[in-house]
Amino acid sequence: MENTNEASFYQEYEVFSKKSVKAPIQHQFSLLAPNEEMALSMAVENFMRREDVLDVWVVKRSNIRAMTSEERMNWTKRLDNKDYRRTKGYGYLRQKWKEKEQGMLDEKEIMSWKEVKKK
Amino acid sequence: MYIYSGASQPEESSHVDDQEKYEQFMARIEAGEKIEADDWMPDDYRQALIKLISMHGISEIMGALPEKEWVPKAPTLKRKLGIMAKVQDEMGHGQLLLRVAEDLMRPYGKTRGDLMDDLLSGDLKFHNVFHMPTKTWADAGMVGWLVDGAAIISQTNMLDASYGPYQRALQRICQEEVFHAQHGEAIIMALAEGTEHQRQILQESLNRWWSALLMFFGPKSADTTGSSKQDIMIKYRIRKSSNEELRQAFLDKYLPRVFSLGLTVPDETAHYDEEKGEWVYQQPDWNEFKQIIKNKGPRSKERLRLREVAYENNRWVRQALTSEAVGS
Repeated sequence: MENTNEASFYQEYEVFSKKSVKAPIQHQFSLLAPNEEMALSMAVENFMRREDVLDVWVVKRSNIRAMTSEERMNWTKRLDNKDYRRTKGYGYLRQKWKEKEQGMLDEKEIMSWKEVKKK
Repeated sequence: MYIYSGASQPEESSHVDDQEKYEQFMARIEAGEKIEADDWMPDDYRQALIKLISMHGISEIMGALPEKEWVPKAPTLKRKLGIMAKVQDEMGHGQLLLRVAEDLMRPYGKTRGDLMDDLLSGDLKFHNVFHMPTKTWADAGMVGWLVDGAAIISQTNMLDASYGPYQRALQRICQEEVFHAQHGEAIIMALAEGTEHQRQILQESLNRWWSALLMFFGPKSADTTGSSKQDIMIKYRIRKSSNEELRQAFLDKYLPRVFSLGLTVPDETAHYDEEKGEWVYQQPDWNEFKQIIKNKGPRSKERLRLREVAYENNRWVRQALTSEAVGS
């Protein structure tokens, strides 16, 4: 390699892609490229020749503030006391509504309310 | 995506800290957790990974360079397209793997440029099979079928590797290798069901490749060649099986298929021992193996030259992309 300017010539890019309209953007891998146009073209040419891809992002690694190793370790040690944030903490309502001969408005029910009766 | 931040340099921590970190590290990998680029890891783990992954990555490239030479010589347009697709995949694998190695080398201040220099100086080895000559179209098929087959056996054995970035790269690589395996099978099948001459060049090719295929998995133990990394690789859950177990798995999967095509192997003693449940075969010449991986194989110099030429021929692209050139 032309070692004289190698350090500044190649930059590390992280590559993300999206499979379909509904799919979340997903991290794929990283690559070395001299600029973001080359990074995008290498990402597509080298790694996305077969798969369905709707969109590709390349992000210079130095622009990402990710968790450090220590931060990740601490993150996984979070207390498991989040019932008040979750529907699980309100599960007793199912029985209550049953006593009143009503169904529970749970996630499945609420997420199905895309359409309401037309007038 | 885990970014090496330089937060946990090995030299910063005391010996006592290291012992505690080591125990935590072993507990994590034994629980099936994945180690990431910026996690603390023992030095010998890092070094074994660098050696393994840089050799794997550079071998993908060193294999693709002679394989692309078959594009103009392949007999039909479909075969040319198939080989081009495969060469492109191998280059992609090389790039994925070199990135994984580069992140591991970061604490040592080494870059891809250093890997390329190490390759040319002989410090970085590439796989024994890519030091061998290809003579006929049957060799192109044999490389696709059995050389890739051997690679698939050793790579799938690491699909659960403890090092996250390598393990994730391997998922992708092995998926693409399925295509390569079938591409090789298609070439072999056409020759095996072809004319007398085609069957003859196929058999000659297998005779030529047989010992290189046995060598592919490395010696049974360090006694044979003086060094072997297999124990540390198993201890650190990078791979699951020994060299010999992998070779046996290769023979299990492929020899019945070889025989079903009416082919033979150039070893009259080769047979399956029902009682022991293993293949018996004559050892290849491990001294020759040692010479080959020291870049003293039949085509070592030519293959390294291909790499140099590829680099020189593309110099103008890098020059055109430097900021000075873009700015002027």
